[in-house]
Amino acid sequence: MEQIIANGLYLGAQYALIALGLTLIFSLMNVLNFAHGQMYVFGGFVTYTVVVQLGLPFIVGLLASAVILAIMGAVIEKFLFAPVVRRSKRDESTMLLAAGIAFFLDAVILLLFGEKQRGVPKIVNGVFNWDMRIIMPYDRILIGVLAILLIVVFIAFMNYSRAGRAMRALAQDRMAAQLMGVDVARYSMLGLALGAMLAGLVGGLLVTITGVNLGMGGPTSIKAFLMIMIGGAGVISGAIAGGFILGMMESVGLTVLSAYGDITYLVIFATLMVFLAVRPQGLMGKPWG
Amino acid sequence: MTKILSVENIELYYDHIYALKGVSIDVDEGETVALIGANGAGKSSILRAITGLRPIRSGQIVYQGHRLDGTSASDIVRRGISMVPEGRRAFPLMSVKDNLLMGAFTRSDKAEIEQTLENVLTRFPRLRERYHQQASTMSGGEQQMMVIGRALMARPRLLLLDEPSLGIAPKLVQDIARAIVAISRDEKVSILLVEQNSRMALSISNRAYALSTGSIALSGNSKDLMNDNRIKAAYLGGEL
Repeated sequence: MEQIIANGLYLGAQYALIALGLTLIFSLMNVLNFAHGQMYVFGGFVTYTVVVQLGLPFIVGLLASAVILAIMGAVIEKFLFAPVVRRSKRDESTMLLAAGIAFFLDAVILLLFGEKQRGVPKIVNGVFNWDMRIIMPYDRILIGVLAILLIVVFIAFMNYSRAGRAMRALAQDRMAAQLMGVDVARYSMLGLALGAMLAGLVGGLLVTITGVNLGMGGPTSIKAFLMIMIGGAGVISGAIAGGFILGMMESVGLTVLSAYGDITYLVIFATLMVFLAVRPQGLMGKPWG
Repeated sequence: MTKILSVENIELYYDHIYALKGVSIDVDEGETVALIGANGAGKSSILRAITGLRPIRSGQIVYQGHRLDGTSASDIVRRGISMVPEGRRAFPLMSVKDNLLMGAFTRSDKAEIEQTLENVLTRFPRLRERYHQQASTMSGGEQQMMVIGRALMARPRLLLLDEPSLGIAPKLVQDIARAIVAISRDEKVSILLVEQNSRMALSISNRAYALSTGSIALSGNSKDLMNDNRIKAAYLGGEL
């Protein structure tokens, strides 16, 4: 039991970070970022390159992922999303664009990093063992704690900084935010940069545990959509709730349901369908728009 | 009196349908000017043109001696124009505090922002009581006070109010009217007020323009207009 909860928390913290980035982008720009999983994979490969190929410390690799993905997000917003949003009033256009970016990033990853599974050697050794009740390698604990720390920093930034307040304002009422003097173009760019950066950070964290490969992008995006649908799209608390719920479900599923074969995600999807039929806006979703 | 704003012969279109055709209005320093007229007459379009939310097709807008049209909405706020939008447009999931702080978004003078915040909370004591409450949980009247306070947080030279009495309980409309008069008296601010409640608008303004389908039908001193038979018939609706 304790083991399941510990696993769930560890996984949930990573998932919540992914979902936070996705929900931030969604709430600011009304764009479902289909490329979110690819950004995560890209971040993993950047950390791998810096740590393994360049031989630099892990923290440098993690920071490199954050910086490179933030720049990538900003560039994608400025040169791809912004012009499309300006010219097209239809939501489908930005959705198609996002899907296109996902395929494009897959190709870039293949070109730059190849199709092999890549990982980073253990950053800390040893296993935490609490009386055989919770057994967890120290590196997982460290990565879990780092993820929770990043969530706390992100929430503090959104709640107490001037830029965070401006992004919340923009998400809640675009026109009113403009009337307060918020430069929509600038903060859309900042929002996408920040969302992509979060995806890159999780990639950098998880490459030390599970490694990354080219094929992980799509499924990660799907998981991220699941999380924000559970929690309610565009709501920070919802993304965190969704992340931890999915983490827990997966952790429970892998332990309890494994006897019946690989059906965890089947059960999760079925449950989600029933849940969304009852509460389509998700747990914390706004009942309006 | 020096002019703070002059709107000169502007035209504004939504797609191919005109909303304003050749409208000119002036606002002097320290003055309260009302724009009255029926729904769809173009009152709000004038405000949208001034705040840069909609581009104008022709004419020009001059503010403090400089051309304003073509400036981005966020720069217009920086130049001292704040708007209280129609329907209040509070940030629903934010606290009263954060809503007010958003009003000061363009300012960076921390100590002076605190001072303005204190003034706003003194002007609207209700906001102090609800300081940490989420905006969406407040009544329409309270939210209206809050968004007026939010606009004042920018320390504007020109305050634009778009239908501040819309959807507010009749008793509170008087409170809002009084608040507008007090703001005009206490702050160095000119006010341009758009209202469908013409009686209220005329009673608290110095001058007024009456709009009809995208152009100015009548203008003059508010007192005179209040007694003008055409205004009475068209906008004040008989007795009361």
